[in-house]
Amino acid sequence: MTATALTAAEAGLVSCETCALLSRPVEAAEPGYCRRCGGKLEWRRHHSIQYTWALVVAAAICYIPANVLPVLNTTTLGSTDSDTIMGGVALLYTTGSWPLALIVLVASVMVPLGKLIALSYLLISVQRGSIQSNHDRTRLYRLVEIIGRWSMLDVFVDTFTVALIQLQPLMSVAPGPGVLFFAAVVVLTMIAAESFDSRLIWDSDATRRFDA
Amino acid sequence: MPEDTDHLDVPRATVVPRRRARISVVWVIPILAAVVALGIAVQRILSEGPTITIVFKIAEGVEAGKTAIKYKDVNIGRVTAVRLSDDYSKVEVTAKIDKSATGLIVEDAKFWIVEPRVTLSGISGLGTLLSGNYIGFEVGKSKKKERKFTALAVAPVITSGQLGREFVLKAADLGSLGVGSPIYYRRLQAGQVIAYDLTSDGKAVDLKIFVNAPYDRYVNPGTRFWNASGLDVSIGSGGVDVRTESLVALIAGGVAFDTPPFAARAEPAAASTAFTLYRDRPTALKHPEAISTRYVLYFHESLRGLSAGAPVTLLGLPAGEVIDVGLDFDPKTFDVRGRVEIVSYPERLIAEMHGATQATERETFTRSGQQRHTFLRNIIEQRGLRAQLRSGSLITGQLYVAFDYFPNTPKVKVDWSRDVAVLPVVPSTITDIEAKLTGIVAKLDKLPYETIGADLTKVLAGVSVTLQDASTAVNRIHTDVTPELKTTLQAASLALGTVDGMLKNEVNTTLEELRRALATADGVLKSTDAALLGKDAPGQLELREALQEVTRAARSLRGLTDFLERHPESLIWGKNGAKQ
Repeated sequence: MTATALTAAEAGLVSCETCALLSRPVEAAEPGYCRRCGGKLEWRRHHSIQYTWALVVAAAICYIPANVLPVLNTTTLGSTDSDTIMGGVALLYTTGSWPLALIVLVASVMVPLGKLIALSYLLISVQRGSIQSNHDRTRLYRLVEIIGRWSMLDVFVDTFTVALIQLQPLMSVAPGPGVLFFAAVVVLTMIAAESFDSRLIWDSDATRRFDA
Repeated sequence: MPEDTDHLDVPRATVVPRRRARISVVWVIPILAAVVALGIAVQRILSEGPTITIVFKIAEGVEAGKTAIKYKDVNIGRVTAVRLSDDYSKVEVTAKIDKSATGLIVEDAKFWIVEPRVTLSGISGLGTLLSGNYIGFEVGKSKKKERKFTALAVAPVITSGQLGREFVLKAADLGSLGVGSPIYYRRLQAGQVIAYDLTSDGKAVDLKIFVNAPYDRYVNPGTRFWNASGLDVSIGSGGVDVRTESLVALIAGGVAFDTPPFAARAEPAAASTAFTLYRDRPTALKHPEAISTRYVLYFHESLRGLSAGAPVTLLGLPAGEVIDVGLDFDPKTFDVRGRVEIVSYPERLIAEMHGATQATERETFTRSGQQRHTFLRNIIEQRGLRAQLRSGSLITGQLYVAFDYFPNTPKVKVDWSRDVAVLPVVPSTITDIEAKLTGIVAKLDKLPYETIGADLTKVLAGVSVTLQDASTAVNRIHTDVTPELKTTLQAASLALGTVDGMLKNEVNTTLEELRRALATADGVLKSTDAALLGKDAPGQLELREALQEVTRAARSLRGLTDFLERHPESLIWGKNGAKQ
């Protein structure tokens, strides 16, 4: 395929987002419903870019407190320690377990950040009507979608730790406010990736006259 | 023109859906996220208390991000950084104080490191064994804000919330006291020593003490404090008296206070009032001497063993004390003599006076110094009252000044007009004996041992010569006299032989006569024997009768003694009386 290939929309056709059946729209303004699966047909997803942008911005905002605020409060014999994500990475690294540190760094810091950057890049490129490296962008989008579900690992570990380590009065662990923001980042980026209409990647600026 | 134009090859107009330019509701999500994040940030910034720096000499167990600052056991902050000062001599600890505690961080707030402490008076900070050291905090009184502090080396003993009052004790030395040493009132622990410091001139020690609330009102201006450290052992005629305030005071030292009964009832003393710390309880509770008169005594003898504070007695009763011992130079006679200044407390003597009948005399003494003066003058000038040094203890050689009557001493005139009267003295008996012994030794020293020795040598030489003469004389006798002696002895032997012959006859006749005389004596004795020992010898009969008489007498005597034994009263009442 080339970047100049005809898109369904350009051909006056609309594809079903659920079952991918190509249909002829009832009328341009209201494409109607898929004959096969009954899903609502849309030229391009309604407000997709705006939605995605909103969610990406929200996730980016949440990303700051997620990293600044402590995710875990450990109380050991009366003295309380608060750990942020980066603090945990640093601690793991200094205590010698650099593989673990790397895992945490990748899963908890780089992946969410990478998702945000990737989505932003996709949105900007779509808005500018770029038709360069459409293949790579599609691949990037897929990667973002796949990786999204694994980002909750951190939150998962955190909640498990809190539930398991309750050895009052010797030691107890409580979740910090950072973990909420971190979860918000993960969830928001997942929804953002979901709300992004990948068909937009293939719309050139000239042809993109459909609402997005 | 509503015809169907589908078949026409005319480009069909496309329907461009209306661009909905309105902003989607979804933007609420990032706005919400921003609001929450901003809210947290604002709350964080608002709840951010001041950051302070505390300078420690040594930051034992202080860790950044871990060590808490606690006030009344409540966390009010946390150490954020620990670093050495620029000249590496101290430790600068940066700490973040909670917003709620901002008001506490004032100029004179105190910080110190709380660590487990085991002292003689107790164990503290055990909790830090598990949780690690923390920084203790004590609020100040100032209102002025301050962000840089120097930590205390040790925890302050008294917390600001504690009720009570602080006083200052002035002591000659610290003794065994220290910070935390207990203060006792009637053997109850009433407070503690909170600080001590050398006075600026370095001549005394100022102790800061804190007396806790219920007890501080017993501290009034008349209160006396004394060092109650250790044991107070006194040996009196009643035995050994051992006093100590408590076991802690015995080991760690302590201070006790009490208000002596003679002190006027007064309002509680104001805080920070200075008191003297007395050496011991008797000194502290000694009655202050209201009336005192000073006198000077000049002694021409050793004052070794006499020191200020030594007692002055009058007829063996305490009457004052020595206040100064020194030397005095008399320019007229070029005489250096011992000068002893004493002070007399007439009140003590008055207290010794006995009985209600002497109330008037007592009155006399108390009322007027003039009368006392006259009295003293009388007994010194008329009755011969003299001061004398005496040994209080033969072992330690301590001396004291005793006033006693010495009627045989020459009368003296005392110059009473002087500011401090000079009272007459007599040499002490001990020094008297010493002087005599010294005199004897001096005399012995003066003996002309050398001439005596020389004479003796001469005499001995003479003796030697005499002995030699004697020897020659003996020799001469041996050679000259012996042959003559031999002849003489032979002549003597001859002479004795003749004497023997002559005597033999004479002796024989004498013996014959003696034999005859003995025979006659024998006859006489035989006749006497017949008269005395014969069967009907009259002497023997009489003797027997006499013995029988004696036997009877003895029997009746036994009867009498038996009777007397049973009736001893008969000696007084007679036989009849006894029967009754």
